Amino acid sequence: MIYLFQLMNGIGLGMLYFLLAVGLSVIFGLLHFVNFAHGAFYLLGAYLCYALLQYGVGFWGALVLAAIIVAAIAAVVETGLLKRIYRLDHMYHIVATIGLALMIQEIVIIVWGPVGSSVPAPQALSGAIMLGNFIYPEYRLFVIGLTAVLAIVLWWVLEGTRLGAVVRAGSESTEMVSLLGYDINRINTAVFALGAGLAGLAGALAAPIRGVDPFMGVEALAVAFVVVVIGGMGSYTGALVAGLLVGIVQSLMTTIWPAGASLAIYIAMVLVVLVMPRGLLGRA
Amino acid sequence: MDKPLFHFALAVLVAVLLPFFIRSGTLATEVLIFAIAAAGCNLLLGYTGLLSFGQGIFFGLGSYTLGLMLIHTSLPLLPTLVLAMVVGCVVAIIIGALSIRRQGVYFVMLTLAFAQLFYFLAYTFSDITGGDNGLIGIPRRGIGPLALDSSWSFYGFVAVIFLISFAALQRIATSTFGRTLLAIRYNGQRAQAIGFPIRVFKIAAFAVSGAVTGLAGALHALLIGIAPLSDIDYHMSESLLVMTIIGGTGNLFGSVLGAAFYLIVSDTLSAIWPRWLLLLGALLIVLALYIQKGIWGLIERGVGAVLGRRGGPDAMAPDTAGNERP
Repeated sequence: MIYLFQLMNGIGLGMLYFLLAVGLSVIFGLLHFVNFAHGAFYLLGAYLCYALLQYGVGFWGALVLAAIIVAAIAAVVETGLLKRIYRLDHMYHIVATIGLALMIQEIVIIVWGPVGSSVPAPQALSGAIMLGNFIYPEYRLFVIGLTAVLAIVLWWVLEGTRLGAVVRAGSESTEMVSLLGYDINRINTAVFALGAGLAGLAGALAAPIRGVDPFMGVEALAVAFVVVVIGGMGSYTGALVAGLLVGIVQSLMTTIWPAGASLAIYIAMVLVVLVMPRGLLGRA
Repeated sequence: MDKPLFHFALAVLVAVLLPFFIRSGTLATEVLIFAIAAAGCNLLLGYTGLLSFGQGIFFGLGSYTLGLMLIHTSLPLLPTLVLAMVVGCVVAIIIGALSIRRQGVYFVMLTLAFAQLFYFLAYTFSDITGGDNGLIGIPRRGIGPLALDSSWSFYGFVAVIFLISFAALQRIATSTFGRTLLAIRYNGQRAQAIGFPIRVFKIAAFAVSGAVTGLAGALHALLIGIAPLSDIDYHMSESLLVMTIIGGTGNLFGSVLGAAFYLIVSDTLSAIWPRWLLLLGALLIVLALYIQKGIWGLIERGVGAVLGRRGGPDAMAPDTAGNERP
């Protein structure tokens, strides 16, 4: 029974990892841009959620606002700074976004202090319910439900709408998209903001589960990379499958071998890479 | 690069002058230790075009190897240093061979994931590594009659190793092997088409880099008397990369400048303002946008301007940054 419980936890965790990684993956797919500040957006989302709750904003408002503010900040950063870096080598993408991530992390410490805090789950979801014959926290169930709905919406946006078609076309040929009359700069900004907003939302959703601390961004960045490496870069389904895989492995390991839970996901990654260097669903 | 003697003389100058500028023997020693590690990083990044986040692994393994040997065995100091190099080298070959199966960004992510893997290995198996506390109480053995217990005598010892490593790396970089690495960096496909087994060359670059970085890690553990978990942390990899890039890629002496700049500035600033990393972050952004060749590039440009815009051959080297793009 404990395994079933941990499996549920793993799915919840995995869906958060998916939200985190899919933005990274889509940004790379369209912009060929390596964003080492992605974890910092997750960090920012978590702290904004924490701060908004402190100011008395309700949980729903905090969740939505945190994601929107992170997306807005990302849009400003993209327009003001990152746009000028795209043409450079990957090395400089990485240097600049490490710099950005450092700045965000230090600003978080200046504003909210170096010590972490816990974030209460919303009142309405603070209880637990009986699932068969075990008790499960309502909040975690809610996270699974919400992220599942988001995953479907996101899939529809990317696969079923005109915007999604333009984004996918842009990842094949930005020139062609420009020639067709779309403003590629605005699309770039929108996709970057969307990806960062999803990371921010993942952070906000994770806050009541794990609390907030200024160094959660680095941890999240590494996990997002593992998910992307396992799933295959630029692949939506890959991010989903790998996110769930990583979440479930980590969660089940917490029961089997607690000390090695984090270790396990990196071992899983190495195993996948050994067998399938391009990731589970990566394209050539 | 084309004036190895001149650059070696500069390295000697740094090793001799540092004690006059830095009062703390520990900080001065740290500068040389990280200069070794950054130069090892540069061989991968600047010469081979491989941006590896795995350097912290080799550094940390060097620290742990030395710590374990000095605590649990009665091996003399020099063999433990050699052992740390061997461990760094072997692990670098394995990680290199696995990571170069992917290119560009995928390579970067893989090395970063490996860095996390080793961090959690060290963290999880705390019986061996001491986990969060690190390996405590590493004795600093002397070499034969030479005791290394004062901070400046240890500085002298590290300075000698630094100069030997620098000369060796420079010898490697200017050899046919090093030239081939540069060819791989500038245009990997062409190097392959000519018939170079570029995978083998890349793995060999990893091997050298891992050995040198392992040595630096071992010296660091010897310096502070513990092998801390932070030696194998992701941040160690990041710091080594940042030092290399600040100094200037593709020039080994640049790495010495980068390490010195990073350590001295962080030491000074962190005493004044604990949040100095905010400034470092801003500097990195400026670096990426405007000072892509680092401190060494700035110096070259400055000297070139004084000498009537006749930059050295390095300054004329094409910026081939775009080649790695998928």
